[in-house]
Formats: sequence, C-alpha cells, structure tokens
Amino acid sequence: MRKRSFNLHKIIEKRDLTPSTFVLRMERNGLEFVAGQHIQVGPPNGIHTREYSIYSAPGDKDLEILVREVETGLVTPALKKLKPEDGVVINDAVGYFTLPGDLAEEQPLLFVASGTGISPFHSFVKDRPALNYRLLHGVRYASEAYEREDYAEGRYVACTSQDAGGDFKGRVTDYLRQNPVNPDTLCYLCGNCDMIHEVFDILEEQGVKSDNIFTEVYF
Amino acid sequence: MRVAFKTLGCRLNQYETDALAAQFREQGYEVSEQEEGADVVVVNTCTVTNQSNQKSRHVISHAGKVNPTAKMVITGCMTESHADQLHQKFPGATIINNQAKSGIFQSVDALLKTGNPVLSNKDFDLFSYQSFTEMFHTRSLVKIQDGCDNFCTFCIIPFVRGRAVSRPANQVLQNVREVVAKGAKEIVLTGVNISRYDHQGLKFSGLLDQILNVEGDFRVRISSIEPDRFDDHFFSLVGHPKLAPHLHLCLQSGSDRILLQMRRMYTVSEFMSIVDRVRARDPRFNFTTDVIVGFPGETEEEFEETMDVARRVGFGHMHIFKYSVRKNTRAERMPHHIPDAVKTDRSQRMHALAEELKAAYRAPFDQTEQRVLVEKWADGKASGYNDYYVPMVFDSDNKKRNRFEQVVARVQDFEE
Repeated sequence: MRKRSFNLHKIIEKRDLTPSTFVLRMERNGLEFVAGQHIQVGPPNGIHTREYSIYSAPGDKDLEILVREVETGLVTPALKKLKPEDGVVINDAVGYFTLPGDLAEEQPLLFVASGTGISPFHSFVKDRPALNYRLLHGVRYASEAYEREDYAEGRYVACTSQDAGGDFKGRVTDYLRQNPVNPDTLCYLCGNCDMIHEVFDILEEQGVKSDNIFTEVYF
Repeated sequence: MRVAFKTLGCRLNQYETDALAAQFREQGYEVSEQEEGADVVVVNTCTVTNQSNQKSRHVISHAGKVNPTAKMVITGCMTESHADQLHQKFPGATIINNQAKSGIFQSVDALLKTGNPVLSNKDFDLFSYQSFTEMFHTRSLVKIQDGCDNFCTFCIIPFVRGRAVSRPANQVLQNVREVVAKGAKEIVLTGVNISRYDHQGLKFSGLLDQILNVEGDFRVRISSIEPDRFDDHFFSLVGHPKLAPHLHLCLQSGSDRILLQMRRMYTVSEFMSIVDRVRARDPRFNFTTDVIVGFPGETEEEFEETMDVARRVGFGHMHIFKYSVRKNTRAERMPHHIPDAVKTDRSQRMHALAEELKAAYRAPFDQTEQRVLVEKWADGKASGYNDYYVPMVFDSDNKKRNRFEQVVARVQDFEE
C-alpha cells in the first residue's frame, strides 16, 4: 500500500500577482504529476494543509501553485509569509481532472474557471500549447486576470463581474449564454461549486453531453 | 491452536479475513468466528463512520472480556486512523496495519511460537492473500484492486487504504480459476474502488469480460462500484449468463449540488443513464446502493431529491448512512453541518422508503422459478440468493450447501 506521504520542498520564488494572490514556485524534488492533478500543501511546522491544483506543467523544472490568501484561513496566511529558502510540505499528486492522452489537436475545448480555479488550465496549456481551447476566466476585477499573457492570443477571456476592464463585463455564465458552445466541445470546469453547477446546466442546455463535461470543485 | 476472526465493515475486509482464515486452516489451525476457546482473536476493524469505530472498539473489548487469556491482534482501517488510541486502550494487543495485514499468519504464528509477533516486509503485500472458497461465506470473494484516489470530501478511506492500485489481471484470473476449481459457485469481485481498475491499460470491463470467459459453472457478482467509469464494453456484458444481474451502485446523493460538494465524479443524470442502459437490457436488473443523509449544507429539498432518485430507480436495497464527520477530510471544514436530530429524521424517512422499495422490488420474484445458490439448510428449508441478489427459501431434503438449484421459491421475507 502506497500512502500519500508529505515531503519538504524548498521555496524558490514567491511571485505576487495581486495584493492577495501569489504564485509559489518550489523545488520539484522528483514529484511526478499529470497536468490537472492536485497536491496538498502546508507550512512546514503546521498540522494543516490545503489542496491546490498544480499551476506549472509536468515538463517544468520547478513546481508552482497559485494561492489566494484567505485572511481568516489557517494555511494561506502562513503560506503568504514564507520566503525563498523556506520550505513547505507537499504530498504526491492525485486526481482525475486531466485531459485524455489521445486528444486530437483540433478537438475544441472549453475551459471555464473562477478565480484561482484557473490553475489546472494554466498547467494544461503550458503542457500542450497547441490545444484548441477557449478559456473563460471569471473574476471580479481585470487585475485578477492572472498572467493572461501565458495564453495564446484570442484564447483567454476575462469575464469581470465588478469592472469593465476585462474582455467581457459579466460572469462566465452570462458570457456562455451569449456565446453558446458547439455541442462537440469537451468542457472542463474548475472553481467554486455554484459556478460549476450553473455552467453545467447551461452547457447541457446547449447540447453538450454530460459525458463531455468534467469538473474540479474548489471550496 | 484456535484462531477466532471478528470482521467489521466492507466486503474487502470480509475477503481479507476469509483469506487469512483459509491460510490458518491450511497450516493446521482451527478457525472460528467465536472468541470462546480461541488462543488468538483477530479483529479486522472498520473506520468508515464514527459508528464503525464504536463497533470496532466494542468488538475488541467484548472479545477481551469473553476470553481474557487469548492474544489479541487488531488490524484493519482503524489501525491506520486511530493507531495511538488503540495502543493506549489495548496495550497488550498486537496491532498490524492494512499494509501488513496479509502477513498476519506469519506474525501470529511467531507470536504463539516465540512470544514475539515479528513480521518482515517480505511476508506481505496488498494482493498476497491465499485463494479460498467457503470460509465464513459461501460466496468466494476475489480482490482485484485496493486503495482509492477519488478523495471524496466525506471519505476517510483514501487515507487508510492508500493510493489506488490494481491487481495484475493474470493474478486475478488465476485466483478465479483456483476458486472455481475448488468448487466456488459465486465469485464476488471486491476492492475499494473497482470501477477504477486499470492494469497496464486493461480497464474494469475488460477484466470482467476475461473473468466471465473462465470455464466453469459459476456466476460473477460485482460488489460495490462507483458510477463514474462505465463504458460501452461494460453495457455489452450485461445479460451475460455468468454475470449476476445486480450492481451495488453508490448514489450517495440525488442532488447534483451535493454530489459536487462531495466531489463525486458523476451527476444524477449520468447515474440514471447507467440505470436506464442496464435496465434496457434486463428490466428486472437489481440496483442496490449507499446513500448519505445530512451531508453538510444538505437542504430539505436536496434530501427530497435523493428520495426521488431512489423511487425512480426502485432500489432493491439501500445502505443509509447519517453523515459522520471524519477527521482531516474536506467535508469536516465545510459550513452548515446538519444537526443530528435532522439527520436522524431524514435517515428514518429514507429507511422507511428503502423498506417500501425493497418489498416492491422483491415481490415479483415471490413464488416464481429462480436459480438459487443454496447457502443454508435448516429444518427442511434451503435458502440462498437468486441471481438478482434476492434472498429466497424453498422446501428441500437436500442439505448440501454451495449448489445451484432451479426451483420455485419464496422471497425469504415474504414467508408466512
């Protein structure tokens, strides 16, 4: 029996994206994963950990996660205080929110994320840049369009609910209602439960079979 | 020397106990399910709910009271989740975790011979259990998989059973051939998450197909399975003469929102699609299930949605669990935990519905001709399960167990 065991990984860099959101880059230490999988991460001397989809690609030298601080949380404020050379504990990657290995290059893909739910899609795209995808990212403000330059021209759509600085003013659900998808699209949804629930219904109404909708819920 | 086995929880635990008992018997030990008179008592624990923990502790304490001179060996999932507590409460016991469970014979043998329960890591692995038939159960359990990577938010099992691992197909097939050769009439495929079976690209349906093609007069029953990996190949096997028309298909909730919160990997419509596709091939196909009531945030409407799905499926049997907080799971930290009184009320209502549905499902089988695998005989009556997993009983002078009989029988609960 192989249990998930925690290993210490040294932090290489902390990259602030907004006042509350940052990317932690850590030593890989041989950790194997498939794009879309998640790990548990926690401060080295704490008893609490939280799950994070891996932000970096399996081919990258280092390991990255995207973290948004929850001020009242037990883990994210501690992670935010960490500096390069500090360590975090991480266990091995698990999860089935992954792309099929035999995916045809022209297969249309829809990625729908809310907030830091963009992480697995960042990993997908970095791992397989030739994917035929459209990424809808639901955020409050355009400033939360985390590292949008990492996505190919015209494929990333920031749906901003609180300002007009994104590509679309409104929620991802509004965007989808105005821009229906082709029923042959493979759809991947990651983020909060309510968003996933609502988007799932919209996609089914637009003719996407539930077999072609994959979800990863963040809480 | 006599070894007593006490088993709690799932089919996989039953399989592992039966296999261990077979190994002890083969090595000349007497085996029993009664602790009285035993030299060693092995308790195979369960930790899936708080109630399971309580029952496990009770069984250990009770065995210690009934037979205080017996050496106590504790194994199973509670040794993974509550090892420190078990050591404190039962300081004289030998505690062997899940990983080392298959080495219990070596450990107990050493304990009795030398007083020291030594166990080398060469003595065990997850699948190195003895093939057996007819130990404590007539049905012959075959382990095809262990562990789970699903990490449902309510579930502690991935933490106590470890990562998903599939038994090589050649070992599974060898095990099936061995137990069929020993006379097994019913093979039950067991594991923690058998729908995720994947060994070198061979998926569950492919393995099942190969098992169904093993020669012999036997039927195959699929035990508990998750509704998230059914492929066309599987549906093509429904109706195979060796495949028992019964699935224990875990629903957990009939609300899509709650299923998401549970991190289940299917929707209600996908669940119903499996039911519909199977019933299109066999309208009497029996679906039994597990349901959790009172998951954090479950509203009355969402509970009613589960009741509605249960009615639509017409489950032949339901295992109903009141949501039970498991430490370090994601659901533990969720808001809006449901008061126990509400959970109890929902559980009672679900149980009442389950009884109604069970009776309705079983009624058409009563006093009809069925193939029954005889498991018991007493006072001129033979009893056992038909292919659909309905318990049947009929008059018979033949006391032989583990035999198929094609006979007009009554549903067991329907006897006057």
